[in-house]
Order: sequence, then structure tokens, then C-alpha cells
Amino acid sequence: MTVRFEEQNWESANYEYVITRVRSRRAKLFDDDDYRKLVRMGPSEISRFMEETEYETEMNALGARYSGVDLVEYALNRNLAKHFDDLLRWSDGRLYDYVARYLRKFDVWNVKTIVRGIYSGADANEVEDDLIRAGELSEQLLDQLVAAGSIEEVVELLDGTIFGDDLAEAYQDYEDSGVLVPLENALDRAFYDVLLSGLPTQPEVDSPTGLYVSFLTAEIDFRNLRNALRLARSGAEIDPAEYHIEGGRLFDADEIGALATSTDQLVQRVRESTYGDDLDAALDTLEAADSLIEFEHALDAALLEYSDQLSNRYPLSVCPVLSYILAKEREVDNIRAIARGREAGLDSDEIEQELVIL
Amino acid sequence: MSSALLQAFVGSTAAAPAIPPLAAAALAVGLAAIGAGYAERGIGAAAVGAIAEDDSMFGRGLILTVLPETIVILALVVVFLTLGQ
Repeated sequence: MTVRFEEQNWESANYEYVITRVRSRRAKLFDDDDYRKLVRMGPSEISRFMEETEYETEMNALGARYSGVDLVEYALNRNLAKHFDDLLRWSDGRLYDYVARYLRKFDVWNVKTIVRGIYSGADANEVEDDLIRAGELSEQLLDQLVAAGSIEEVVELLDGTIFGDDLAEAYQDYEDSGVLVPLENALDRAFYDVLLSGLPTQPEVDSPTGLYVSFLTAEIDFRNLRNALRLARSGAEIDPAEYHIEGGRLFDADEIGALATSTDQLVQRVRESTYGDDLDAALDTLEAADSLIEFEHALDAALLEYSDQLSNRYPLSVCPVLSYILAKEREVDNIRAIARGREAGLDSDEIEQELVIL
Repeated sequence: MSSALLQAFVGSTAAAPAIPPLAAAALAVGLAAIGAGYAERGIGAAAVGAIAEDDSMFGRGLILTVLPETIVILALVVVFLTLGQ
């Protein structure tokens, strides 16, 4: 897919058309009842259930090659890519630009998957199946990347894309330390840099652009928060300030360095911020249960809720599209968690904890 | 209100109108049609989107799309009122 990014930046956008379609698809996503049913099913029942839903085409197309939970997983990925491709196909002008900016996160995901695959010595076919072809990088480039033999080769291939410079810089770091964190952060940072570039920094609070920016800022803040907590937890000897993503409003690079050493201070800080109310419950679980996974799920849920709020407050803007993208992603994550969980023999209560449901 | 003032007011409007009544009526219909067209642009796009996702929305989409047409009908009423004078 090519991204028609610069040239049609200022053409008028077709919000009405895209948003009605998106809202209709949003309404068709699985609801609580579906999840409750799914959680109680065995792996083969889940496959059969999926064949009768939205995922029918993908399940049938892939049914010959895969079976069981793998089939579910690949069908999910392919369906996700199909829907997000549709979004780009429908939207024109400024809306296209906004959506494309955000969907580059699948480029990040793809490159990360490829790099991790090479790092762990996984088979090229396996890596290829895990890609979600919904971003800006062309099919051809992705195939080349999958075929690459070393991480260095991947970095070279990506030269000239938005990730090129940052990756090349981080590669040295990776060579020295031998862990993937610098590379992955370089990818994230390149993505978030482009995400906010060219958008006004102090837009009117109530304009569509303002809401778009505030949504992206929230996402960056949550990403920083997540990184800081993970670093604080793992006790790794890494300076969190180095991996700080610019553009958030919750903390700046200096603060995060000081805060990441102590989870209590970090939690206190978030409680007092603008996200305090939304994250209250999540912060309580974090303090009480010491469970980072639950907290991350709560973050996801909070972001989803926030994007829903935004899409109701300004229906004719990019916000409903973003909220659909997030909701669809959560659905795919949830179904995957259920399928994998049932395969691993977890009971339904444990799986329910893994789900992000509003 | 003093009758002198009223007389002055009526007197000033009673002078020759800026455009003939028929031209004014035609303008009213034209402007109403432009307004209706603009309103239908958005509704139509949304309706087509809804129908593309769900065929059963066709009837509802059609009704909502032509709702702004009522403005033009009202403007047409104005034309007949003008003709009747």
C-alpha cells in the first residue's frame, strides 16, 4: 500500500461517509455476551463460533493451511488488516492523513516482529504469518525484510523510510548492549515523531484537530507510563529518560528519570494528573496486587474509554475512526487471549482477567 | 408608536422595491435549493455509507436524505403566495 500523504493533505475530508461506515462496523464488534460465551468454549468450538461471525471469510481462506488456535490467530490478523485497509481506502484528504499517521503503528509492529524473529532465530515463514499488513510499508519491502538474514540488513533496508535514521542510530546501542530495547524504542520514537509532526501544538481544545492531538498525547503519555513502570519493575540498569517519547504532557524526560525509581511516587504523580479519574481503579489494582499486567489492561481500557468520549463529543472528526481502530484492536487481542488461554488450559476466571472489556 | 413615525416607515417601504416580486420569489427558491443541496450532501454521503454496511438501511437512508427537500417545498409555497398577490 502506498500512502498518499503530502499531496492531498488539504483536500476536504469525507467524514460523513467514513464515520457512518465505521460506526456501523463498531456496532458489529463482539459484545460482553459474545465474550462470555467464548470464554466458556474449547479451542475447536471457538473456531466454529468464529466461522459464523465477521471472521468467516478469513477462517475459510486459511482453514486449509492452519488449524486450531493458530487458525484463529491468523484469521484475526488478516481480518484486522482487511478492516484497516478499508479505512484507508474510504478516507480522503485530511482524514486520510490522520488515519494513515495512526496506522503506521502497524509498520512499527511489523518491523518489531521481524527484528524479534531474527533475534530469536525464528523461521521466516512463521514471522511472515505474524505480520499485519495494514501499514505504509509495501508488500515488497516487507517480504524483503522477512527474508533478511540479520538485524543489520533490516536496518539497511529501512533506510529511507521514516524509521531509517533513528534505527541506524540505535543499532550501535543494540550492538553494545545486546538487547532489543534500543531498537524497539527507536521504532516507537520515529513513529510518534511523525505522528505529531505538522500538527499544531496548542490547537483549540474543542476543534477536531485539538481532540486528535489530545488523543495522541494521551496515547504517548500512557506509553511513557508503561515504559517507566516496566523499567521500574525489571530493575534494569537503563536510564528511563533515554527512552522517553516526546510529545506527552504527563511528564518530561527529566521527571521520568527520577520517578521511575519508585513505583509509589509514579502512581502518586499519575493520580494527581488529568488522567487521575480515569485511571483511579487501575492505580488501585497496581498498588494492591502488584500486578503490572492488570494495570496495563486497565490502561488500555482507559484509553478506549477516553477515545469513546472524544468520539461522542465531536462526532464529525477523526475521533470515531480512532476509537473504532482501538476497539477493533482490543477485540482481536481479547479473542486471541481467549483462544490461547483455553489452549493452555486456563479456567474461565483467569481468562476473563486477561480481557480488556469496557 | 406615534402615527407619524408609522406613516414615515410605511412610506419609505412603499417606494419601489429593490427587485420585482417574481424575481424575489425565484431568488428564494434558488437559495433554498442551494441550502437543501448542501444539507443533502452530508446526509447522502452518510446514508450511502450506512447502506454499504447494511442493505436494510436503504429506506431509512432515503428518507433522511430527502428531508432537507422540505425547505425547497416551503420556498415553492412562497412563490405561489407571491403569484397570488
